[in-house]
Amino acid sequence: MTTTTSLHPVAADYLGRLDRAARRLPRGERRELVEEISAHLIEATEPAMSDAEVLTVLDRLGDPEEIVDAQRPQERPRTDSRGLHEWAAIFLLLFGGFIFLVGWFAGLVLLLSSRAWDTRDKLIGTFIVPGGLAAALVATVVSASTETCSSLNGGVQHCTGGASTLRNIVGIALFAFCLLGPICTAVYLARRAR
Amino acid sequence: MVAIGDGVISQLRRGVLEFCVLALLRDDERYGFEIVRALSQADGLVTSEGTLYPLLGRLRKEGVVETTWRESPTGPPRRYYRLTPAGRSLLTAFTAEWVRFRGSVDTLLETGALT
Repeated sequence: MTTTTSLHPVAADYLGRLDRAARRLPRGERRELVEEISAHLIEATEPAMSDAEVLTVLDRLGDPEEIVDAQRPQERPRTDSRGLHEWAAIFLLLFGGFIFLVGWFAGLVLLLSSRAWDTRDKLIGTFIVPGGLAAALVATVVSASTETCSSLNGGVQHCTGGASTLRNIVGIALFAFCLLGPICTAVYLARRAR
Repeated sequence: MVAIGDGVISQLRRGVLEFCVLALLRDDERYGFEIVRALSQADGLVTSEGTLYPLLGRLRKEGVVETTWRESPTGPPRRYYRLTPAGRSLLTAFTAEWVRFRGSVDTLLETGALT
């Protein structure tokens, strides 16, 4: 064994082809893969070897494209997974609340049954905001009704007066949350499902 | 004659290969080239050596093996792989499952029935 790290030209050419094939991988994975294969070539070949000997080593190693493909499986679900199922889930979570609320639940089922999202994504999709945009409508109605008179103790009308500013602020905050929450969640889910 | 689909064999191979890697590391740490050569010498287990490196990377990401760099007497430093406790318990679990699986399939193939 020699201590030099220079590669046989045929092996170096192979490594270059692997590096180009690995361009579609995330940077860290590409670097690590090329590093490992380079280490393999350093162990398995010597600069003084004949071309035929080096080619035998390369044959055993396999085609660069095939090696990069073996690196891909974990990537594949992320690129393929944003199908009709996922878009329907996002749409129904956003607008399904207007379809008698049933639409939102259908969206929820699609969200939870999809493999494109992990548990955290699913929790966010479920809880921000239940009912989707329809929740903003409900929040508006609720905050409007609490601002007016509420009936207490059988017929006695209690009207809110001074406290309505605070109520207004809370109402607006709730409305904003119910409006922006589902939109942000929809964008988030669309991005995460890649 | 009906040939066995190539897909079946490669699926079987893909399914068990990671446990073969874990088994190789049961008693000792090994560097990548050592693991790859050991596996490729086993009959019918590996078709192309290069595809084992992505597997090693994935096992590391999954936390079933960990790595350290060590100096090599003959060249640049080598990345050594060894089992983590999680990897060890995964290997133990698979070994038990595999023995059952192999037993059933062997019995069926040999006798045509499960006795």
